[in-house]
Amino acid sequence: MINSEETIGNVFAGLRDAEASPGLERRILAAIEERTSQQPVATPRWVWSVALACMIAACLFLAITVLHRHFNPLTQARHSAVSADTLSANGPEKDAQVASLLPHEPIAPIKTVAPERKAPLINTEDAVLLREMHAPSHPAPEAPLTDEEKLLLRVVRLGDPQVTAMLDHEVRARQEAEQEAEFQQFVEQSGKEDHKSDQITE
Amino acid sequence: MASFEGGSLVLFSTEIAQTEIDVTALVETYSRLLFRVVHSVLRNQAEAEDVVQDVFVRVIERRRSLQTIRDMRVWLVRVAWNLALDRRRRIRPMQMDESFAENLAANTAPADERLAEAQRMKAVLREMERLPRAERHILLLSVVEELGMAEMAKVVGRSESAVRALLFRARTRLRERLEARGGER
Repeated sequence: MINSEETIGNVFAGLRDAEASPGLERRILAAIEERTSQQPVATPRWVWSVALACMIAACLFLAITVLHRHFNPLTQARHSAVSADTLSANGPEKDAQVASLLPHEPIAPIKTVAPERKAPLINTEDAVLLREMHAPSHPAPEAPLTDEEKLLLRVVRLGDPQVTAMLDHEVRARQEAEQEAEFQQFVEQSGKEDHKSDQITE
Repeated sequence: MASFEGGSLVLFSTEIAQTEIDVTALVETYSRLLFRVVHSVLRNQAEAEDVVQDVFVRVIERRRSLQTIRDMRVWLVRVAWNLALDRRRRIRPMQMDESFAENLAANTAPADERLAEAQRMKAVLREMERLPRAERHILLLSVVEELGMAEMAKVVGRSESAVRALLFRARTRLRERLEARGGER
């Protein structure tokens, strides 16, 4: 059996009396000095805040400018008016040259060329009429095909030569004449045969 | 101010003086205590010194918030304690304990008893490591004998009465296990 108390005491004493090697403080300070010299110069926090605020303000200004240019109808109208003036002032001969240099996009309808004024008091019906009048005009949509057109389209699509030939006026008239002649011939023949049979019966 | 050789420390001290808390004074005052606290966990001189160095590097990194610390001594011990526990997870503690016990036996026991004494010390250290974690931590902190109950309680985040109870149970359990181990032989 070991003397546990004595051994425990010895171990505890060894842990309690543990001494660092000489010059511990100097080594620690040297390590800290090295660490601090490696660190970059710390920028104050307010500098970062101001920089961030400036960046946000610049972004906002840029966004507002772009939106303003994009959506401002006055600017667009001025641009269109300048284009139109250029075309008319140069005469019809140069118009073609200038027009060829201009972008081939259709000019958007100008909604408000003049600066906005206070609108006079008008009732709702007039307002609707005015809005309809100022509304951009577009070509009317194509009318749907008539039944005859649809039939014609189907015939052409099928490509049956006999039916297609019927579309030719001359061929059609000739066929109709032949059919008429055949019919007349048949009627005459049948009339004669009926007359003969009546005579025989009598 | 520190009294180290050379003029570099003077320059360094003036730089640190800007941080309002004199780190040099902190190093002089607490480095030995922190070394013993860390050494009780690691049982290795080089590793313990390295951890103490890390503690003061942390102090420099948090120098702006040092003014808010009420008890610098407990705060430093706590930082050192946590860093030591973290370091112990990464090293091989059994090898450290063996060399520590052999060195300790060489200092305390006569030459003919050194081997047996080293074996007994290794057994004590092994049984300490087998104690429940809370008991082991309190026992190791109490070994330093420089921390009061209140300070130990703050370091481990428990009440003073709990620390007292844990310390009593740790000592009793360690003694019983060692006696039982001796009786088995």
